[in-house]
Amino acid sequence: MRLLLVEDEIDIQSFLRRSLEEAGYEVEAAPDGKTAERLAVDNLFDILIVDLGLPDQDGITLILRLRQLGVRAPVLILSARRSVDDRVRGLEQGGDDYLTKPFALAELLARLRNLLKRNSPAASEATRLRVLDLELDLLRREASRGGQVLQLTQQEFVLLEYLCRNAGRVVTRSMILDKVWGMRIQPDTNVVDVHIYRLRGKVDGIGQQPLIRTMRGVGYVLKDR
Amino acid sequence: MRSAAWRISLWATLAFACGTMVVFVFLQSFVAGDIQRRTDAWLSGEVEVLGDVAERTPKDALYDRVVGEVAELAAREVPDKPASESGSSDSVFFLQSGGDGSLKLWVGAGSGEDHLRAIKAGGVPSDHPADLRVPGFAVPFRVASIRIGDGSHIFLGLSERDELRVLKSLRLRFLLLWMAIVLLGFGIVFLSTRRMLSHVREITEAASRIGHSDLNARVPTTRRNDEVSHLALTLNRMLDRIESSMHQLHTITDSLAHDLRSPLTAIRGKLEMSLSTATDGEQTEPIVSAIDELDRLTDFLNKSLDVAEAKADALRLTRSTIDLDELLRVMIDLYEPSMSERGLHVELFSGGPVAIFADAALVHRMVANLLDNELKHLPPACTLTIELRGNEDAASLILEDDGPGFDPEVLEHIFERRVKGRDSNGHGLGLAFIDAVARAHRGTVAASNRESGGARISVTLPLASGETAHFSVPAKSSLR
Repeated sequence: MRLLLVEDEIDIQSFLRRSLEEAGYEVEAAPDGKTAERLAVDNLFDILIVDLGLPDQDGITLILRLRQLGVRAPVLILSARRSVDDRVRGLEQGGDDYLTKPFALAELLARLRNLLKRNSPAASEATRLRVLDLELDLLRREASRGGQVLQLTQQEFVLLEYLCRNAGRVVTRSMILDKVWGMRIQPDTNVVDVHIYRLRGKVDGIGQQPLIRTMRGVGYVLKDR
Repeated sequence: MRSAAWRISLWATLAFACGTMVVFVFLQSFVAGDIQRRTDAWLSGEVEVLGDVAERTPKDALYDRVVGEVAELAAREVPDKPASESGSSDSVFFLQSGGDGSLKLWVGAGSGEDHLRAIKAGGVPSDHPADLRVPGFAVPFRVASIRIGDGSHIFLGLSERDELRVLKSLRLRFLLLWMAIVLLGFGIVFLSTRRMLSHVREITEAASRIGHSDLNARVPTTRRNDEVSHLALTLNRMLDRIESSMHQLHTITDSLAHDLRSPLTAIRGKLEMSLSTATDGEQTEPIVSAIDELDRLTDFLNKSLDVAEAKADALRLTRSTIDLDELLRVMIDLYEPSMSERGLHVELFSGGPVAIFADAALVHRMVANLLDNELKHLPPACTLTIELRGNEDAASLILEDDGPGFDPEVLEHIFERRVKGRDSNGHGLGLAFIDAVARAHRGTVAASNRESGGARISVTLPLASGETAHFSVPAKSSLR
């Protein structure tokens, strides 16, 4: 996976580069918009990380310019700003994602994977999801494990569906809040955890292999092997 | 219509009407005095002539005829004399009374006895003309008299009917003209003040729309160089200054946020990387707690800046239409498991959709803060009731619980920064933030202790304004 990192802060650039490379990305870094534009046109990247506060131009201007130049790769926007620009919302509608600084690395990686998957043509319009012995019927809004139908509430089904679609990948609490409840909030309390505990109680029965794992300090993952 | 234009034009018209009325009264009394003076001069002249004639004419059989004809001639000289119903003149009379007070000679309408009686009763001074009221005549006579050699008196009377008629027509004409002018004046004053005040109203409306972080707009100005346009220009200059200081505040908070967040990002990243290389629990524990502290610091930074901006009425809003009913249901759905886990019971009373035009992210965080607050402070087995009401122009959200309530010591300053209960472990910004968001949306927050025990927080937010009330269902996103 080739990734273009556009970030002018040397400290942030260096630790991001290291962690992204550890996570298996092939990273090219650009400290400003001009360099980024040259690199993006000359090379083919799978995904871009763009900081909004670049020294020579606005990050959004750069993204729009790259889109004009035919760069189709999804973009993860990093922002240290306080308010979310309308144009960022526009890009988000167009399939890109944004993350405010400071962020958890796991969150960044999870969102990158999410963007890559969303962009791959294999994204299914399937009516059924299957992860190991867990099966979700999206039309009848019904989940079953090992043939046993699970008694889930509407909200629990949506949550499980989200976990299934990201099976094997870590999803963070803020991603769950964003995608399942449609809110970008940071509760002081463990509201998401309680939902996961309840769901786990229904999905992982006694004697069964536990599917929903907690990644401490990061989020949750639905095991797919 | 309770407009100042009405009041101003009413008072101005009243003053104008009174003024013109006073002027007219003076004018009329002057005209009346002048007419009387002319009448008196004529009467005095004629009565002298008649006295002269009467004295020279021998007292024979022809005396009556001669004097009578002279009197008739004098009567014809009366200017602008209207023909009376009887054909003969009743506006002038000539009367000669003998020294013994008997009627010697009479020229005029009627027998003259009434006139003689009235003269005897009233007494007419011989040196200047005077008014005489005769029974049977509605209008008094102006009578001049002269005494001749044989001891008899000659009286010449002229009815004041003509004078009164002239004055009456003068009054009538004035009244009609006066009313027309007063009405016209009222109309002009009303229209011009209304025009001026409508400009003031436009300025007021524009000014009330401005503010609360929307400082781009300006009040309308005119090219006229009057007080109102000066007011508009002054307001606009003031808005320029406010906008520039607001802009400065935004620049400061933005650069503060940026300058703090960048190093925080780097620190957090480095901590996480050292966490991934650390192996045993003894090494990881302090790193994890450092990351936790860092996240709390970040949250504190964000909320502090929001509260600071909101206190200065400078919070920037990205508004959209939000259904509070839908939002509350989603929020309660999110919080309910945590609540019941702690033994809390939550109930929602809502009468259906309530649309507000607000910043979705801020309102989400505000409601989450309210619920976090309850979740953290309510002891087990308590009930939280949430009531949503959409009134005519405002949505009100009322949270009531049957817990211990607010500490009375902090209740007074509960929405200020850094105020928190004794056993609270937060940074004391939660309620200040809620207040900040409500204020930014021109709403209010009130906190109190219920009489039956427990806390009550009520948030009021203005409803979506008419033009923006196109309804959309937001918030709860489904999976793609």
